[in-house]
Amino acid sequence: MQANLQWLDDPEVFRVNQLPAHSDHHYYYDATEQQSGRSRFVHSLNGQWHFNFATNPADRPLDFFQPEADLSNFDTITVPGHIELAGYAQVQYINTLYPWEGHQYRRPAYTLNQDKLAVGVFSQAADNSVGSYVKHFDLPAAFLNQRVHVQFQGVEEALYVWLNGHFLGYAEDSFTPSEFDLTPYVQATGNVLAVRVYKRSSAAFIEDQDMFRFSGIFRDVNLLALPAVHVDDLDLKPTVNADFQGGVLNVTTRLSGSQLTGATLHLCVTDDAGTEIAEQTQAAQTTVTFEPLRFDEVHLWSPDQPTLYQVTIDVLDSQGNRLEVVPYQFGFRKVELRADHVIYVNNQRLIINGVNRHEWNARTGRVITMADMQADIQTMKAHNINADRTCHYPDQLPWYQLCDQAGIYLMAENNLESHGTWQKSGAIEPSDNVPGDNPHWLEAVVDRARSNYQWFKNHPAIIFWSLGNESYAGEDIAAMQAYYKRHDDSRLVHYEGVVHTPNLRDRISDVESRMYEKPANIVAYLESNPDKPFLNCEYMHDMGNSLGGMKSYSDLLDRYPMYQGGFIWDFIDQALYVHDPVTDQDVLRYGGDFDDRHSDYEFSGDGLLFADRTPKPALQEVKYYYGLQH
Amino acid sequence: MAYNTNQLKVVYGDASLGLGGADFHYLFSYERGGLESLVIDGKEWLYRVPMPTFWRATTDNDRGNNFSVKAAQWYAADRFTTCQGVQLRVDDHHFDELPVAPLNNQFSDHETATTVTITFQYVTSTVPSTTVDVSYTVTADGNIKVTVHYVGQDNLPELPALGFRFIMPTTATGFDYEGLSGETYPDRMAGATHGQFHVDSLPVTPYLVPQDCGMHMQTKWLTVTRNLTQNNADRDQTPFSLRVEQSGQPFNFSCLPYTAEELENATHMEELPLARRTVLTIYGAVRGVGGIDSWGSDVEPAYRIQADQARTFGFWLKRV
Repeated sequence: MQANLQWLDDPEVFRVNQLPAHSDHHYYYDATEQQSGRSRFVHSLNGQWHFNFATNPADRPLDFFQPEADLSNFDTITVPGHIELAGYAQVQYINTLYPWEGHQYRRPAYTLNQDKLAVGVFSQAADNSVGSYVKHFDLPAAFLNQRVHVQFQGVEEALYVWLNGHFLGYAEDSFTPSEFDLTPYVQATGNVLAVRVYKRSSAAFIEDQDMFRFSGIFRDVNLLALPAVHVDDLDLKPTVNADFQGGVLNVTTRLSGSQLTGATLHLCVTDDAGTEIAEQTQAAQTTVTFEPLRFDEVHLWSPDQPTLYQVTIDVLDSQGNRLEVVPYQFGFRKVELRADHVIYVNNQRLIINGVNRHEWNARTGRVITMADMQADIQTMKAHNINADRTCHYPDQLPWYQLCDQAGIYLMAENNLESHGTWQKSGAIEPSDNVPGDNPHWLEAVVDRARSNYQWFKNHPAIIFWSLGNESYAGEDIAAMQAYYKRHDDSRLVHYEGVVHTPNLRDRISDVESRMYEKPANIVAYLESNPDKPFLNCEYMHDMGNSLGGMKSYSDLLDRYPMYQGGFIWDFIDQALYVHDPVTDQDVLRYGGDFDDRHSDYEFSGDGLLFADRTPKPALQEVKYYYGLQH
Repeated sequence: MAYNTNQLKVVYGDASLGLGGADFHYLFSYERGGLESLVIDGKEWLYRVPMPTFWRATTDNDRGNNFSVKAAQWYAADRFTTCQGVQLRVDDHHFDELPVAPLNNQFSDHETATTVTITFQYVTSTVPSTTVDVSYTVTADGNIKVTVHYVGQDNLPELPALGFRFIMPTTATGFDYEGLSGETYPDRMAGATHGQFHVDSLPVTPYLVPQDCGMHMQTKWLTVTRNLTQNNADRDQTPFSLRVEQSGQPFNFSCLPYTAEELENATHMEELPLARRTVLTIYGAVRGVGGIDSWGSDVEPAYRIQADQARTFGFWLKRV
C-alpha cells in the first residue's frame, strides 16, 4: 500500500490500516511488574527524534522514510511536544473561526458542492505545515519474537507512518490513540520509524475547539509487545442490583495470538481491601465471555467513596505458563434516568458540581505531565468539584483512571467541534455545517464515538458520553448517539447542540443541555413540564475577574429536582510562558501575542486557575457553593 | 504653644487650613481642593489630595457586555473631577467665606478648636454633572471622620464604582484587615470566611489582562503599613501604619499599587508601571463582577450602581 497525500482532503479517509480501538488496560509479565507499574511489554519512544519542518506539503522531504535516507539536514525535536512551541511555526489562538480565517478560503468537502471532492484544499495548501519525524530503535529483549505495535497517543492533526521504508498507515483524530502493527517489518535492531504529521486535514473542520492551535506528536509514543496470547480488549460490565446491595460483573475479552489453542484465562476479582471474592477459569478463544460473577454485597463507587474493585486476568499458555497478567480497577455504580425525568446515581439524585477542563500547561501547552494531572485532581477534590467534562476531546489515558480513583464524575467527550461551520461572529448560519446530515462525514464522526467508547468503556467515573461540542446537529451526530446507545446502557448520552435542531430532540441527548443559559430561562424551562433533566454543560464563564452571581444557579438545585447542576467554564486559563526581553522575566502571553491573526486574544483566560495552576480568587466561591448540601 | 489633647491647634493659612496635635498635622488645601497632607508621627500619608473615584479597570465581562462603553463618561470623571467649593466649620462657627487674607488677619498663632469640619464639593465632568460632597470632621484626638455624599443625577449611566481614593507616596509593605477572606465582590462573597487577615505587599491579581481586582467587601477595619517616606531627611525605616475604621456600616476597599487608569492601560501584567505608590480606595458601592457569560450578559440588577440614587458612606481615619 502506498500513502496518498490526497487523503488529507477527503473526510471519508480518516484511518488507514490502523488497529481497532480497544480498552485502555495495562498488561504485565508478572505481579512484580504489575506492582511497579512498569511493563516489559511497553517501550517508550519518547525523547529526541530527527525532525524536519516544511511550511507546506510541496516542500516536504519526499523519501525521508527510507531507511537509507540522508537525515543530515534534519534537526532534532523532543517528543512529545508541539511543533509550534519548538519554534518552527507560529503559535495561534483562535476560538470559533477557523485558524485560516481571512488567509485561505475553504469550505468543508461535500458541503457547497455535494458531489465533488475538491482535491488540494489541504494537500496543496500553503498553510499546511509538515513535520517529518524519524526515530531509530532496537527492540528490547522482551520484544524479540513477539508481535510489535506502535501506539501514538496523540498527534495533531493527521499522520502517516512508515517502518523501515514500508508504509504502515494513516490516522486522524488528534486526541485518540492510533496504533499500527509493526510485526511484518520490524527487525531486532536498526529499525527506522518515520512519521509525517500534517497540521491540517479535512479533520480540521471538526477539530475547531476554542484553544491554541498546535501540531505535532504531543502525547506519548510507545512500542507495545504482544505476548503469544494477548488480551486485545477487556470489556467489564459491572451492574448493581435493583436493591442497591448486590451486583453482577460481566467480563468479556477479545484475544489474539498464535498460541490461543490450549491457553486459558484465569480471572480473579478482589475487593477494595484486596480480598479475593471470585475467580473463574475459561479456555482461551478469540472472544471469551466469562460466566456472570454475582456478589451479594458490593460497595458502590461514588465521588464521596470511590470504591474500586479489581479484576486480574492471568493469561496462561497450554503448559500453564503465564504469558501476561491484566489487572483492571473497576467500580459498581448505577446511573438511571427515571420516569420522574431526574438522573440518579446509586439511588440518589445526581448533582453535578463540575468544571470543563482543557489539558494545559503554560510551558508545554497540551503536553501535560502526570504531576499536572494529579495536581488538577487535588484541586478539584479540595474545592468540592465532583465532575469534569473532558472538553472537547478525550484526555490523556491516565486521566480517566485518576478520576476513578479520586471520585470525579466524567462527562467523556469525543473529539468533535465544528464551530466555524455554523456560527459566524455569533450568528447561526449552518449553510456549510459538518458533519450535519452529510453522509461523507458520517463515518469519521462515528469512528470518534467508537474510539471514545472502546478506549474508556471500563471507567466507573464516566457517567455521560458526550458527542462533542458546538457542532450544530444532524443525522451524523444522531448516529454517534446511536452508537453509544447500542453499546452502553449503563451511562447517559449528552450533547448540547441539539438545541438548534428540535426535530432531533429525541435522538441525540438524554438531557436538556445548554450553555451560558440565564437562570430565568432555566426556570422557564423547568416550569414548562419538561421531558428531560436540565444540565449546564458550560456556565459561569470565568474569564478574568468574573464568576459572580453563582447563587442564582445554586438556588435552582433546591427548587427543581430536574435541575442537576453544571460544569463551570473552565478549569484553567490557557496562556503560554514567553520570555519578555523588556522585563527579562517569563511572562504569560495569550492570543495575538505571537503576531497571530486572526486571534481571539485573551478569550482563553477563563479558568478557575491561572495558567500556572495557581488558584484565582473566585475559587473560594466555587468551593462554597459546590460544598452546599441540597 | 504646648499641645493640649483636648484642643486642636488651628492654623488659618492663606491657602489652607492646618490642624495639628502633639503627633499629627493635617493640611486642608483650598487651592488643591482637598486634604493635601496627613502627617502622623512625622510621616506623610498623602501623595495628592484624595478624590472621589468612579471607574474600575474594565473587567473582561465589562468589555463583553459593553458596560465600559456605556459608562465611559465615568472614566473621564474619575480623572477630571474638580473641586468647586469648600465649606468650613470650626466648632460652632460656620465660615460664610473662607478665612483667607485679609479675613484671616484676625487670627493668631495660637488658635484652637475641639472639632473642625471641612467639606469639599466635587463636581463630576459628566454630562450632566453631579456632585460629591466630601467632609472631614477632625476632633482633638486627631481622628478624622470622612463622609462622602454622592448626590446623583438622572440621565447618567450606571457607575462602575463609587469610592474615595487615597494615593500614598510609597508602596505599603502590606495591610491587615478584619472582614472577608480573599478577593470579594457583592455577587461573590458567599465563599469567603470572616476573620482578620494579613496581606503582604500589594498584590495585583494576575488576570491575563490586568483589570479591576483586589476588592475586599464588608470590612470593619484596615491598617495599611509602610516603612518608607519620600522625606529626604527621614532615614528611619521603622514600619508605620494608618488605620481605617468603619463608621456605622462596614466599608469596602482595595489596596493596590495602581489606579484604575494604570490598570486599564496595560494589556499584560508586565506592562504595569513599576510599583511605587499605594492606592487605597474606600468604596461606598461596588459593582458586581457577574458571571453568566463574557459576551453580553449584564451583572445581576442587585449588583449594579444606579447613577440617580444618592449614596452616603463614611469611615474613620485614625492613628495607630
